[in-house]
Amino acid sequence: MDQFLQQLVNGLTLGSLYALIAVGYTVVYGIVQLINFAHGEVFMIGAFGALSTYLLFFDGQTGVWILPIMIIGAMIAAVGTAVLMERVAYRPLRNAPRLAPLITAIGISVFLQELVRVFYDRIPFADFPSAKQRIPFPQLDVVSGTAVQIGDVTVQRSAIFTIGALVVCAILLWYFINRTRLGRGMLAVSQDPDTARLMGINVDRIIVVAFALGAVLAAIAGVSQGLQNNNIDFKMGFIAGLKAFTAAVLGGIGNIQGAVVGGLVLGLVESMATQYVPGQFGGGTWKDVWAFVILILVLVFRPQGLLGARVVDRA
Amino acid sequence: MSFPTLPDTFVAKHAAKGWPVGLAGVALVIIGSFMSWSFDRQILGDLSVYGYPGGLQILAIIAALLALALLLMVKGPLYSVMGHWLDAALGLRALSVWLLIYMVGILVAITTESSGLVNIDPGGWVSFVGALLLFAGSRVIPLRELRDLSETKVPGWLEIAGIAVVMAGILFGAAYALAREDAWSFVLFLVFAGGVIAAMFRTGTMTWFSHVATRQKKVLTLAAFAVAFFFPFTQNGSDANMSIATSVLIFAATAMGLNIVVGLAGLLDLGYIAFLGSGAYVAASLSQSAFATIGWKPPFLVVMLVGGLVAATLGLIIGSPTLRVSGDYLAIVTLGFGEIFRFSMFNLDGNNGPNLTNGPNGIPGIPELEIGNFNFGDPHTVLGIELGRFSNYYFVLLLLLGFIILVFSRLNDSRIGRGWIAIREDEKAAEAMGVNVFGLKILAFAVGAFLAGLAGTLKAHQDGAVSPDQYIFLESAFLLAAIVLGGMGTIAGVLIGATLLKLLPEKMRFFSEYRLLLFGLTLVLMMRFRPEGLVASRRRKLEFHEEDEELALAIESELVEEAK
Repeated sequence: MDQFLQQLVNGLTLGSLYALIAVGYTVVYGIVQLINFAHGEVFMIGAFGALSTYLLFFDGQTGVWILPIMIIGAMIAAVGTAVLMERVAYRPLRNAPRLAPLITAIGISVFLQELVRVFYDRIPFADFPSAKQRIPFPQLDVVSGTAVQIGDVTVQRSAIFTIGALVVCAILLWYFINRTRLGRGMLAVSQDPDTARLMGINVDRIIVVAFALGAVLAAIAGVSQGLQNNNIDFKMGFIAGLKAFTAAVLGGIGNIQGAVVGGLVLGLVESMATQYVPGQFGGGTWKDVWAFVILILVLVFRPQGLLGARVVDRA
Repeated sequence: MSFPTLPDTFVAKHAAKGWPVGLAGVALVIIGSFMSWSFDRQILGDLSVYGYPGGLQILAIIAALLALALLLMVKGPLYSVMGHWLDAALGLRALSVWLLIYMVGILVAITTESSGLVNIDPGGWVSFVGALLLFAGSRVIPLRELRDLSETKVPGWLEIAGIAVVMAGILFGAAYALAREDAWSFVLFLVFAGGVIAAMFRTGTMTWFSHVATRQKKVLTLAAFAVAFFFPFTQNGSDANMSIATSVLIFAATAMGLNIVVGLAGLLDLGYIAFLGSGAYVAASLSQSAFATIGWKPPFLVVMLVGGLVAATLGLIIGSPTLRVSGDYLAIVTLGFGEIFRFSMFNLDGNNGPNLTNGPNGIPGIPELEIGNFNFGDPHTVLGIELGRFSNYYFVLLLLLGFIILVFSRLNDSRIGRGWIAIREDEKAAEAMGVNVFGLKILAFAVGAFLAGLAGTLKAHQDGAVSPDQYIFLESAFLLAAIVLGGMGTIAGVLIGATLLKLLPEKMRFFSEYRLLLFGLTLVLMMRFRPEGLVASRRRKLEFHEEDEELALAIESELVEEAK
């Protein structure tokens, strides 16, 4: 039972991380029907943004009050990247055949990874470490340190931060989508872009907002990933992005609640598989395989996802 | 290269000066090339001897002579022969731009390789001024209306001779480029080649050549194959370039297999490297390697077949979801399969599952291929020229590539190929017309995978080892990029794309730090500015430029003409 509870906590932590990234995929897909393959890189750049903020202004300090500023730094980096990428690479391709944006996305993904790898330690006026190895992520007072024991279950402090961040973000997201003008504009565009345009909604702006919204959440995910793993590297976005995409599909792509539910379910399945798949195919080494098996099974047998989404027929 | 042209009035005023200025430029470039370009003997080969031009100087002279020929076509003895057909003025403009870039490159190279502009000898400056004059002169030489070059009627033997000249040029150019040791010389040679090709496009020679190519298809194919066959003989037994050439061939063969899936059937496969990997792993496990995990040691031809069949079976499995998913989703499914393949190869090490692949260490020590008494590891001497280990593999791989191209082109022209294209264009309409959509999609995956599996079995022996980290997602992306850069669904395009993608990083090692950065950037720029690839099939071109009415008409008339 303790083991089950432990895996439950692990799964929820992992799932919260996936959910935060998955929202970015789903929001963008819901509005422009584009799989933004490079979203994992936005997440990575968010983490590096937070690290840079720390190294520039607070190097060596450990007060927890630094965390919000780091998150803001992460958001600036991530949102900047996402908006620029939409403007420069995706917008000109909006009416191109399906293949073009997908290949562009792969290109952006490789480009951003390499940009960080090669140039992170060459940024002028800053003394950053080289990103060719893993870089230690700053450890702050309250959110990292000795784990909390609840009965026999160990809960990392960073896990509490991650889950808490998801809860707060989910509430704010719900408010933003349903109660603000921009949010309702997004809903309208995702249902019918042409009619929305006729109703006076600036569709281009809504698309930028969608990219920015995803980037904000990815930035928070980047910070919590850094806190959990104690280090970050330029490759962290690829697998995380794929998993998050799986989560988005699992929940029903285009459906924002779905992304959150899908992320949590995927996280739980992964950690339960680590514990309960018997024999040699269990354990941590196969958990990524199980995640991809789920991705394929969902895409094949229930492409609309657990909660359902817009009908998928993309050729 | 299209530069903004000068205003018409300016051109009209100075038109008469263009020709003499250009001629003076040509003369200066040649004179300068016979002088010394640099004090330092170590830079760019030896360019420091008076009266005896070095390699890069000879290139400059060749370019100048080409420019001279074009000038004489504008006004002079060659005008009556070629002047009506070739757009000499436009070609001259393109050539002079590239020649100027070339000379600037030379000056920059000398300056950066030694310390400062001091190291440039008068000859360098003379040639540079010559290039500048030629550039200026060509700007004001007026353009003319021309007759359509495709209407020329020349005897068949002349066309074939043209093909032979171009092919010989390619063979010589490739051997020359590969022999450049330092990166600057290599880049400068590429600039020179770019200039010649640009001039060929601008003068209309390329249009003529493409017409000839369609008329003399068989001759061209044979000539291309012959050029590829003779390439190892130009290397004097050196294995350094042959190892690059073999890796280009493996890459090209795999890309050609993927071209069936992506280019013909329009199914985006982001996990294609797994098929190459499964072929390689089959060959490794069935080889005599001490780390091989399977006891059965069949002859290599059987291994090849098994490798191909295993890959094809995987292809069937990966293809089966196409019944239900398509487009972006299919791309993700294949990506997922590719990652599962890599993780499985990584994990099947005996601790996590049965020991099949030795896990992260892979299977090293795969022995050289041996067919009959012919050991591929030993050098052989043919016609007095020693052919090393890589040359042996090169010939087998060339055969394989030839086979794959044959399969590709035969399928493309068959009922199956037309079915694939129909599916790619509009799946629902194809189904309504009675095309067996699911069967053909599955077939595309199986055939593509089978071919990649064959290539994989050879790759395992050529590399001597297999490990999971050779088969990462990035490699699939590279394969896809080769197709996209070259031109989807075309043979020549994909071959060019594959060659460029493998050759450039090998030759520009000093650039290896930025290799992937440039790769990503190229993909983005390519999709933005030329999504149909370097060599575009007509259908693709239309697909990406739907609103271009003129293009549609042009292509339609071309098709009509071809049908006649």
